[in-house]
Amino acid sequence: MRAASRFVSLLLVVSAQAEPLQFNRDIRPILSDKCFFCHGTDANHRKGNLRLDERKSATTPAESGAVAITPGKPSESEIMKRIRLHADDSDSMPPEESGKSLTEAEKKRLEQWIAQGAQYEDHWAFVPARRPQPPPSPSGPIDAFLEAKQKTLGLTMSPEADRATLIRRATLDITGLPPTQAEIAAFEQDASPDAYEKLVDRLFQSPHYGERMAMQWLDYARYADSHGFQTDSSRSQWPWRDWVIKAFNTNLPFDQFTIQQLAGDLLPGAPREAVVATGFNRNHRLNGEGGIIAEEWRIENNIDRTETMGLTWLALTLNCARCHDHKYDPVSQKDFYSLFAFFNNVPESGTIQGASNRSGGNSPPLLTVPNQQQETELARLNEQVKSAENAVRALEGDLPRLVAAWEPRAKETLANLESPWTLLKPFNLESKAGSTLNPQKDGSVLATGTNPPRDVYVFDAPLPDAGASAFLLECLTDPTLPGGGPGRYGNSNFALTDFDVYAEIPGKKREQLKVVRAVADYSQRGWSIDNVLKKGKRGGWAVDGPTKKEPRKAMFVLEKPIPPQKGGKLLLRLRHEALDGHNIGRFRLSATAVSGTNLKLDGGSVPQEVTEALATASDKRKPAQVKVLHSFYRANVDSPIKKADAQLASARAARDRFESALPTVMVMQEQPQPRDAFILYRGEYDKPRDKVVAALPAALAPNKKEQLNRLDLAQWIVSPQNPLTARVWVNRQWERYFGVGIVKTVENFGMQSEYPSHPELLDWLATEFVRLKWDMKAIQKLMVMSKAYRQSSDVRPEHLATDPENKYLARASRVRLAGEVVRDQALAVSGLLVPKVGGPSVRPYMPEGVWDETSKYGDMRGYKPDTGEGLYRRTMYTVWKRTAAPPTMLLFDSPTREICTVKRSRTNTPLQALALLNEVTFVEAARALAEQMLKHGGSSKEDRISWAFQRVTGRPISDKERVVLVKGLEARLQRYHRHPDEASKLTSFGAWKSDAGPALPELAAYTLTANVLLNLDEVVTRP
Amino acid sequence: MIPSLHLNRRVFLQHSTQIGAAALASQLLAENTSTHFPAKAKRIIYLFQSGAPSQMDLFDPKAQMEAHRGEDLPASIRMGQRLTTMTSGQKSFPVAPSMFQFARHGESGMWFSDLMPNMSKLADEWCMIRSMHTEAINHDPAITFFQTGSQLAGRPSIGAWVSYGLGSMNRDLPAYVVLTSFGSGRKEDQPLYDRLWGAGFLPSQHQGVKFRNTGDPVLYLSNPPGVDRQARRETLDEINALNGFRHSTVGDPEIQTRIAQYEMAFRMQASVPDLTDISKEPKHVLEAYGPEVNQPGTYAANCLLARRLAERDVRFIQLFHMGWDHHGGLPNAIKGQCRDTDQPTAALIKDLKQRGLLDDTLIVWGGEFGRTIYSQGALTATNYGRDHHPRCFTVLMAGAGVRKGYTHGETDDYSYNIVRDPVHVHDLNATIMHLMGLEHTKLTYRYQGRDFRLTDIHGNLVKPVLA
Repeated sequence: MRAASRFVSLLLVVSAQAEPLQFNRDIRPILSDKCFFCHGTDANHRKGNLRLDERKSATTPAESGAVAITPGKPSESEIMKRIRLHADDSDSMPPEESGKSLTEAEKKRLEQWIAQGAQYEDHWAFVPARRPQPPPSPSGPIDAFLEAKQKTLGLTMSPEADRATLIRRATLDITGLPPTQAEIAAFEQDASPDAYEKLVDRLFQSPHYGERMAMQWLDYARYADSHGFQTDSSRSQWPWRDWVIKAFNTNLPFDQFTIQQLAGDLLPGAPREAVVATGFNRNHRLNGEGGIIAEEWRIENNIDRTETMGLTWLALTLNCARCHDHKYDPVSQKDFYSLFAFFNNVPESGTIQGASNRSGGNSPPLLTVPNQQQETELARLNEQVKSAENAVRALEGDLPRLVAAWEPRAKETLANLESPWTLLKPFNLESKAGSTLNPQKDGSVLATGTNPPRDVYVFDAPLPDAGASAFLLECLTDPTLPGGGPGRYGNSNFALTDFDVYAEIPGKKREQLKVVRAVADYSQRGWSIDNVLKKGKRGGWAVDGPTKKEPRKAMFVLEKPIPPQKGGKLLLRLRHEALDGHNIGRFRLSATAVSGTNLKLDGGSVPQEVTEALATASDKRKPAQVKVLHSFYRANVDSPIKKADAQLASARAARDRFESALPTVMVMQEQPQPRDAFILYRGEYDKPRDKVVAALPAALAPNKKEQLNRLDLAQWIVSPQNPLTARVWVNRQWERYFGVGIVKTVENFGMQSEYPSHPELLDWLATEFVRLKWDMKAIQKLMVMSKAYRQSSDVRPEHLATDPENKYLARASRVRLAGEVVRDQALAVSGLLVPKVGGPSVRPYMPEGVWDETSKYGDMRGYKPDTGEGLYRRTMYTVWKRTAAPPTMLLFDSPTREICTVKRSRTNTPLQALALLNEVTFVEAARALAEQMLKHGGSSKEDRISWAFQRVTGRPISDKERVVLVKGLEARLQRYHRHPDEASKLTSFGAWKSDAGPALPELAAYTLTANVLLNLDEVVTRP
Repeated sequence: MIPSLHLNRRVFLQHSTQIGAAALASQLLAENTSTHFPAKAKRIIYLFQSGAPSQMDLFDPKAQMEAHRGEDLPASIRMGQRLTTMTSGQKSFPVAPSMFQFARHGESGMWFSDLMPNMSKLADEWCMIRSMHTEAINHDPAITFFQTGSQLAGRPSIGAWVSYGLGSMNRDLPAYVVLTSFGSGRKEDQPLYDRLWGAGFLPSQHQGVKFRNTGDPVLYLSNPPGVDRQARRETLDEINALNGFRHSTVGDPEIQTRIAQYEMAFRMQASVPDLTDISKEPKHVLEAYGPEVNQPGTYAANCLLARRLAERDVRFIQLFHMGWDHHGGLPNAIKGQCRDTDQPTAALIKDLKQRGLLDDTLIVWGGEFGRTIYSQGALTATNYGRDHHPRCFTVLMAGAGVRKGYTHGETDDYSYNIVRDPVHVHDLNATIMHLMGLEHTKLTYRYQGRDFRLTDIHGNLVKPVLA
């Protein structure tokens, strides 16, 4: 590769000498790469007070007094003197320690440029595209530009590819799936002049078009089903993925596509769909590691958003300006943090909130996204709540009368409400790991001192006179505890893993008693009170300390009651062994001998204020006392209103239960009080310097309005004045259809980018995109309709000599299919594919241990493949765990989705060969294809092989190809007839069951032939 | 085999081609590995101890701490440095002297605690750097920093850099192999991530190949059930023949590369099982590595595998042993970790030495940061825990090009700050690259318009640790 790029640059030199040099094409790449690091945009790093990125500075005396560039006079230009000095000379440039040096050709080129007058140009990508006139030609504009360039290089376009190639190429490119045989036949037989255009139109209408487009976008958006970082627990962002697919399929214009994803929540009325779209900016990783400083990671999240926006829409490496002014591009550190400020007001802490780092879940801000059916059900449940509320309201007027009528009987009610719980007073209280446990006046125990990682509280108390059948644990809040909550962890939470009960009866051995039932008034999702009953140190009971800092209680019922026994002792152990530092902060323990089945958690004690209110004469009661009595009555005395209250509570609970199970998506939101943003010294979260406000980069955009928000940013990105967005997007689609971008560095349009192979074509496409009102399908159709796209991809020797990379398109490019498409195609040609669009992620086959060999954390472990359709959905729906991504996809060059990636490498490795040969997905697909071959391919070996060959390549088989395959098949038929057991092993690999018929030896032999076919270069390559 | 397809027999493992004609050239380049200067080490075995081993319980004796047991860490030592939120809320930071006995070993008199009875016997082989420091304070960013030179995801790992810079030395195995094991000190800790051996922005063939502990050691290595080696050979012959036909029609050199890759895949199907089959290892060798050597997926088994990989000239062999994160119950947990690792590590070094491989193999042993002198949670006579500590910790090196029996750097009385010869992670990585024959400032890759390198814009060669 290194050799090749040198070769190409030589070509440029040769061609450049024939015509006047152009700064952007010929000179800027040299200066930018070799000089700008010290003589460019970064004012803090500039040497000798010399800038070479501006003509004015370059042509006036620098610190040394010398003039770097004297236009027209290379011999009087200091720059030429310095670059001609021997490398040992301390004045030579570039200095030796920079590791950079100029080639002789580059020195000559600089000399020639100065001789020609040293004219500068603004960097092409930072100047708005001006619409160029296509060269006069009978071809369309795209081909006219290409042919003009080819002419200068002595190249001509190749003839049009045959129909079979064309339909395979277009179908794979536009839908990511291969054409069916019927589609191929119909296209081949369509004699109408617009047959190809009709094909293209049909493909852009396919629902699979949106899927193919989304694949690329998921890489940019670093989409995944997990949070990333070490625990890497699950999240659920698929509703955002569904939005993307739908947006492409409905051909949402790219400007809207952009605005909704960056700022849909700020659009008037914040339409729900547009808010879902903002999930783009929440797809970044979220760190929930124990002990992290949340603010450090909030800053990282926000920097990630800023960088991702820059790469995705602008092809700028904004991240370079995180620590200092950009070395090459006009983006200062202040610009960076001014962009950062746009995303800085999300109400988030920086770590996973409202969900557990270990058990996963979405972290707010969230949007609930019911489907239509769920929406109807939700409306019904809301209606029930409303009518229950009305019923209650109707009865409330009657309350004073009812309470007055009840008062004479009040004593009776109170007597029945005597609490069954007896407070336990410990004679021994101890922390195993070093907390200090302090008995409080109210019978509770407060933990102080060090908060050890995993504490066990020892609580020994006399057995109550009545014995014990159950225990009540009240976890109380306290102002001395973190956040004033019930737990000792920094976020107010605790996690109780076990509640052990031992009884010591005089004269008997100590006995452990089994707790069989546990009830709590509240459990955090994934941290149910039931976990306390389970053995082991994983999981436990937790109470959402970070968001709900409330007192909680739980009851533990014994399998067998402890009978009354004088001198008996209760030994209770509260274990906190799931999470470091998650110890209970303040608690109170009570016991009861009442039979467990009758017990309720709220085994109602009579609050003091009730007794007091009753003791006060009714005309002397304060309004607050009246209120107390009313609510006590409602809660404890059988009456129509108690019934109505209960109905309302259950209606609300049903609605809440349903609502909390609805899918959510993480979205953007502005908090009411914006956060201040600062320039961070060296990019470090704890070194804020000057305060900045949200603003666009000064060199790229005029900042007119005083106060800008994310919507202004989004609108600037897709304003026609933005020089980058349209160019960046059309260039990336060009790369997809033609193999190499017009700007090869699709990821970078800054000064260090590669100069466009066809600058005018790029600008024509960019302006056309805007003129077409950002119509994504229309601009792609232009590319696909071009003569260049429709040429043959056969490589002729002169192609390799003149244009090995195929930038100049004297042929179409052969491109290895993306990993997703390799698998999707195998499923499609074998008939296994379930072409359902959208929905939650699925779990196809994955080798055992991929998730578990390197992690015992989080909820994404113990992978079990789906049964049924989940095995056969398109690969873009495969569940994606960032720290252990789908292994076959990684082998086929997919990124890990930890950060925004806009370019994948395209490699060709033995590990890919092993996957295609042996992975169950591909072997099972081969078996299914074999069955199709036997069913639909005719009756002879030759016919069947020809049928399948055409199925996978789209073209008829040649005679010599058939000879090889038939010979192989015959050998295998013999082998499997001799070893039917081997045949049966091969044909039972994979879950798919054939409706079958064919004899196993035959099926096995054909399966291996199909296995050969699915491994052909031609099959995994877009032709 | 079709005779005309033999042309690519000399091919190197994996390579990237977007550009036809350059494809073959890049294969040759990769085969003629090019160091910047003669390398001391042909290969490296990097024994990563994930979770962060406690330096003051293993390598950095602070006997004088006994006099300060239970005292609060002086502010003059802590100097306001940040702590993790696991201990930043602690009311006190009681000094916890190590419970373990230290002694000098070998002619060099290198210090080891009694937790390492075997590794300490090799004192005169080791070079001990007691003055390592890093920037991150939590595991994920810290281990990512060690492996890639950046705390955030996205950069290539050190093994991927070496693969990119030097290529492979053999034609049947990957250039960068990773082996992982869980520890018995803290059985659930710490997760590892693909990115630690990932290729980042380098072409993805440079990503480390993680050998698996269940099923095939290399993903999809085995033929499907009912397909034997002969049957596979025949299918490959058909694939190659048809690919050859296609090449003669469309002329794309990429097809020749694919043929070569399928041949290498076939060779790997034989070479990997041969590599992992330890049945022919003599009894005394197996015994030297300890009883767990026969259990695949243990550190001991991986050490033996590392030697076998080294013998086969795999360039970068990296073990990750988990379980060193001892926030509480350290004395017990660290014993478990040392039981896992001490004997096999020592056996590996002796085994390499005896086979003459230690002369050109670099060994590195260490974790992502150190631990605090103060106890996390309660300090008792027999128990303590230690939080993360990035300001100083110890890494060991041995083998090719390394100064033997030498201890580098020094920490203060509390093993809290470095008082002499600090070595930053970038410095260590620069030194590892140097020993592999690579100048760390020169091994760069252009991505997004910038020349990236493993050591970012930092890193200085640590000359005193060189032989």
